[in-house]
Amino acid sequence: MAALEVRGLRKQFGGVVALNGVDLDIDTDRVVGIVGPNGSGKTTLFNVVTGVHPATGGTVSWQGQDITNIGAHRIARMRLVRTFQQAMSFPGLTVDENVRIAWEQGRKSGGRWASPGMILDFVGLAPLGKAIAGSLPFGSLRRLGLAVALGVSPELLLLDEPGAGLNDSEAQAFAAVIAQLPPQGIGVCLIDHDMDMMSELCDRLIVLDFGTKIAEGPPAEVLADPKVREVYLGPDKKVGAS
Amino acid sequence: MPMTDNSAGKVGAAPEGARARDRLALLTADNASVPLPAGVQAITAILLAALLIALPWLGLGYRFLSIAITTLYTAIGLYGLGLQFGQAGIMSVGHAALMGVGAYASAILSVQLGLGFWTSLPFAMVLSAIVGGVIGLPTLRVGGQHYIIITFCFCALFVIVLTNGGTFTGSATGLDVGSVTPLPGINFDKLSNNYYLVLAALFLALAATYLIGISRYGRTLRAIRENEQLARSVGINVDLHKLGVLMVSGLFAGLAGVLQLYYLRHISPTLFGAFPSLYLALMVMLGGARYLYGPLIGAVIVNFLPEVLNLDPVDSRIAYGVCLLLVILLLPGGVGAGIKNIYCALAGGFDKQGGGSNGRA
Ligand SMILES: Nc1ncnc2c1ncn2[C@@H]1O[C@H](COP(=O)(O)OP(=O)(O)OP(=O)(O)O)[C@@H](O)[C@H]1O
Ligand SMILES: [Mg+2]
Repeated sequence: MAALEVRGLRKQFGGVVALNGVDLDIDTDRVVGIVGPNGSGKTTLFNVVTGVHPATGGTVSWQGQDITNIGAHRIARMRLVRTFQQAMSFPGLTVDENVRIAWEQGRKSGGRWASPGMILDFVGLAPLGKAIAGSLPFGSLRRLGLAVALGVSPELLLLDEPGAGLNDSEAQAFAAVIAQLPPQGIGVCLIDHDMDMMSELCDRLIVLDFGTKIAEGPPAEVLADPKVREVYLGPDKKVGAS
Repeated sequence: MPMTDNSAGKVGAAPEGARARDRLALLTADNASVPLPAGVQAITAILLAALLIALPWLGLGYRFLSIAITTLYTAIGLYGLGLQFGQAGIMSVGHAALMGVGAYASAILSVQLGLGFWTSLPFAMVLSAIVGGVIGLPTLRVGGQHYIIITFCFCALFVIVLTNGGTFTGSATGLDVGSVTPLPGINFDKLSNNYYLVLAALFLALAATYLIGISRYGRTLRAIRENEQLARSVGINVDLHKLGVLMVSGLFAGLAGVLQLYYLRHISPTLFGAFPSLYLALMVMLGGARYLYGPLIGAVIVNFLPEVLNLDPVDSRIAYGVCLLLVILLLPGGVGAGIKNIYCALAGGFDKQGGGSNGRA
């Protein structure tokens, strides 16, 4: 039995079907990637799994417990933690305080970090501890988002395009940090559009299109799948032809 | 293996020219989350406490001491408002009504059951807290702007209920109470003793505010203020804490209301209506809701300004309006922010700071 089990998950926004019966099994010992074109429902999947939006149908269970629609803070306390596609922080507070807030929540039931400083060291933000989060350059803000999520001591971390907006070297450094998480007992489920990085980083890829899972498996296999190639390359060919 | 950060250090090590410009910008910035050295905080607290304790002995006269008492109990109510607005980001424009709940609860307990100051105080505070929480319930469904309107409506409704409450609330005339039950050797009919009673309560309010500010609870409230969604995603029960802080704020309001009642010895509905409520909102914004001494500074300015400048009530309203505009334009963090920024600029920017608490000037 996988740690996170999603069954027949549906989410509708008015007439828009963002998730149309998604089944997933995600374990906490590896990096799983979720890819798909814009608007395919990747972020919505995270939002429904972590209780940000209520599900229209289907179930989510985490470590054997049904967590469908139980409220975002309770899911976070069960150590299923996510980051946001828009880099988020507590902008008016210092970097130290940002991480301390998350760390104090994670510590309530025995966290993995002895101090918030360890988390800052781990993501490479230690020199910026006294800076106000809202004044950070974008790359550091992304890192702070990761630090805040790690502060809660997750067992599974859902990362929504953590590399978006970063330059190549920043994105590579970020990938290196993500690769370190599973050996430390932090499973990662990662959304990103950078296929090279995804195939290098992920043990398994899941492809969403129009709210439906169309492929799943080792990156090399998935990317060779004709259905996936059509989703990704189809529109490009048309653009090239016109 | 830590990531390399090519932006690291830029914040700490600006060249000299840029630093002077930065300092100017810092004078008007809201630096509530930058901690001051513990020594500075301690000295400020001791000096302020000494001044407030010595006040009745400075020979400033009966009228001055009366205004001082008004200022202090108002400040106690403002510390509640400062907590909910400054820390948790929930503004109210009906806060006088919450003080009124405490004041009227205590007055009614005195008239109907003969309970004195000390025995009615806990009931009044708890009732204010409960009412504060109940008014807050709709905020969990709707946004902060709606809550402001709800508090304003509550305030109007409260006055209507009091005015139509017959002999139970004393209608428009209001209710009278006796003096505070004396403690052994201390008679609160003496004005200076009444001042010390209110001052002791203020010290409690200050201590509570300080302790909340540096605690995990304070950080939790600030997290909610800064980013509700992120707060939820790290495991904070946002709804519970919003209600909680409104109830804590209600406790402060109840305490202030009872002190007001037993200083004035007579209360009527107009004391707790829209105007007094708006003044409270004005004071907390003027002083700086996020700063430890902000609410006190706001109360001092608004209560003493007409006295110092010899203004009649209409002129003083205009003066408050101008003050508020100036503060909003120049010092969004309030006068408390300005004072802290001046100190920080004199002390040479922010690089000399020690650890200590956070966000309190
Ligand atoms: N809060 C919302 N209200 C209404 N519609 C929404 C909402 N969130 C998402 N949608 C819709 O659901 C669909 C899926 O959106 P989602 O953000 O999950 O896509 P995505 O795969 O994350 O895309 P991207 O790669 O651009 O981030 C889109 O059609 C989007 O317009
Ligand atoms: Mg998305």
